Amino acid sequence: MAVSTLGSSSDVTKRVEQEIFRQGSDLKGSGFRAALLATLGISVLILVVLLGQVIVDGWPVLTTNFGDFWSGTLRSRSSDSKLGISQGLVGSFWIAITVAVLAFPIGIAAAIYLEEYAPQNLMTRVIDISIRNLAGVPSVVYGLLGLFLFVKLANNGQSSLYAGGITLAILVLPIIVITSAEAIRAVPSSLRQGAYGVGATKWDVIRTQVLPFAAPGILTGTLLSLSRAVGEAAPLILVGAITGRLAPRDGSFLDLGQFGDRFTAMPIVIVGWVQESGRDAGFAAAAGAAIVVLLALVIAMNSVAVMLRNYFENKRG
Amino acid sequence: MKQGFRQQLKTLALIATIALVAAACGGDSDSGSTDSASADGVSGSVFVSGSSTVEPISVRVAELYEDVNSNVSVDVEGPGTGDGFQKFCAGETDISDASRQIKDAEAEDCAANGIEYTEIKVGIDGIAVMTNNANPVDCVTFDQLFNLIGVNGEGKDTWAAADSSLPDAPLDIFGPGAESGTFDSFIEIVIEDLAEEAGVEHTVRTDYNPSAEDNLILQGIQSSDTSLGWVGYAFAANADVKLLEVDGGDGCIAPNEETIASNEYPIARDLFIYVNTGNAAENPALQAYVDFYVGEGLDVAVGEVGYVPLSDAAKDEVRAGWNS
Repeated sequence: MAVSTLGSSSDVTKRVEQEIFRQGSDLKGSGFRAALLATLGISVLILVVLLGQVIVDGWPVLTTNFGDFWSGTLRSRSSDSKLGISQGLVGSFWIAITVAVLAFPIGIAAAIYLEEYAPQNLMTRVIDISIRNLAGVPSVVYGLLGLFLFVKLANNGQSSLYAGGITLAILVLPIIVITSAEAIRAVPSSLRQGAYGVGATKWDVIRTQVLPFAAPGILTGTLLSLSRAVGEAAPLILVGAITGRLAPRDGSFLDLGQFGDRFTAMPIVIVGWVQESGRDAGFAAAAGAAIVVLLALVIAMNSVAVMLRNYFENKRG
Repeated sequence: MKQGFRQQLKTLALIATIALVAAACGGDSDSGSTDSASADGVSGSVFVSGSSTVEPISVRVAELYEDVNSNVSVDVEGPGTGDGFQKFCAGETDISDASRQIKDAEAEDCAANGIEYTEIKVGIDGIAVMTNNANPVDCVTFDQLFNLIGVNGEGKDTWAAADSSLPDAPLDIFGPGAESGTFDSFIEIVIEDLAEEAGVEHTVRTDYNPSAEDNLILQGIQSSDTSLGWVGYAFAANADVKLLEVDGGDGCIAPNEETIASNEYPIARDLFIYVNTGNAAENPALQAYVDFYVGEGLDVAVGEVGYVPLSDAAKDEVRAGWNS
């Protein structure tokens, strides 16, 4: 047999390794690796250039009187010391809360139903495909829906914070359903069967086995969709977020009364200032600074998502 | 016992926090109402929508008025003149900003909904035609502009090729993109009539360099010795470019604040606000805001945000019109 002629096993390992990693033994493979590295390099480069440009643009605003910028409002001139993003921050904060309160429970519940309870028939398949299609519908279309339902029909044409929040909740709902369903589908069937085997009811199995195991995946999906909602501008433009001026309101930013009031949000503030920069070039710096703040907030939210996922993954062991 | 004491401390801290927050917020609104009550006692809210070109004027007026009376809250948005009139005629807004006069169809819409309004001219937006400082050309006519920039100019890469009366020099054109109000106004004032006569499309050639950012247009003009372009007057006035005189049929006129205000310079458009008179009668805040608009607004705000203020005679006319 060939084995006996090859000598000891460590020699074999050595020779096989040499053969595999010999220079030029896998030219196509190295080419593929180089191509992958190049594409990665290009995407990172584009990101770095964009980020660098935005940070350079916004640097003067970020480094001088950032406190004023943080607590300032929409103004007509970029040189105004009261120019700032507080109104955008408040709007985006409440939009995020609305999305979390509405879309998270509904989306996760829908995913549990679709995966655990729904009978595997034509109807379920149609629903499943519809949800996937909805996730790919352009966000402007959701804006039109929001404009019609929550502004024209529900509020006599006056835009309101809740209209923006509910519209974005509907926008991210399909994404939450899909990611949560994927996470639930990834639960090993041995876990379920084991639980059924010791006499657990369906509810017990879902509560004690499926949900804890799927929690990291569900959390990641929902928090990423929250970042998406906070960064969306197109639907809010249609729903009628304010670009020019929002007069100061009485009461604190936690006042629930503002749900029925006109609003603005970070992406809208940015869009508005970019447009204004044609008339008044200083707005370009303000827009750059606002983009940096929004990016920082979104990165912070995504980091929380990653930390929560790690926490739950460790817990499930 | 210890546990209970801690619990009490926590409760105390919570109450203290709530009290502090409440005090802080209460303090805010108190100070707001006291200094405004002393002004003229008017309070209420005003909603302005319409042209994004006029938006900064209305915002600036609201900022100036806030210093006088902070009890009137003015919200302003700028989705565009057309969208603004649609909302205005549905009764959703108090004032509509407009970079053109109301169209017949829009006026009928307002009438059908029983919306009565007053038109107030607030300022003028001139459009500057410019070239590089090195270019010997000083003045262009509407005909020449149409030949250079209109659809007939397509593919012609020297001034002479587009119009034989002009020098034989390379032609690089820079201007705003089709989404811009300045683009629309330029076509409406300079191109439209001549394109109608020539039986061609009412737009500009496709092979120019469009940019949404006026700074880039100015950079383009500076980059080529015989460039040509157009932007809003306020933006070009202080830039290192040569503003061309324009002949709209009455001789060459250089753009400046006087010639634009007097309508001598031919490429300029009037900016308006339309006030819902029914609402103004019921809402003293709206009345007060428009009073301030035609007063200090026309004098200060229009110039501050970069547009050309009306001449004194035109201001008097506007004020007389509003007060009657």
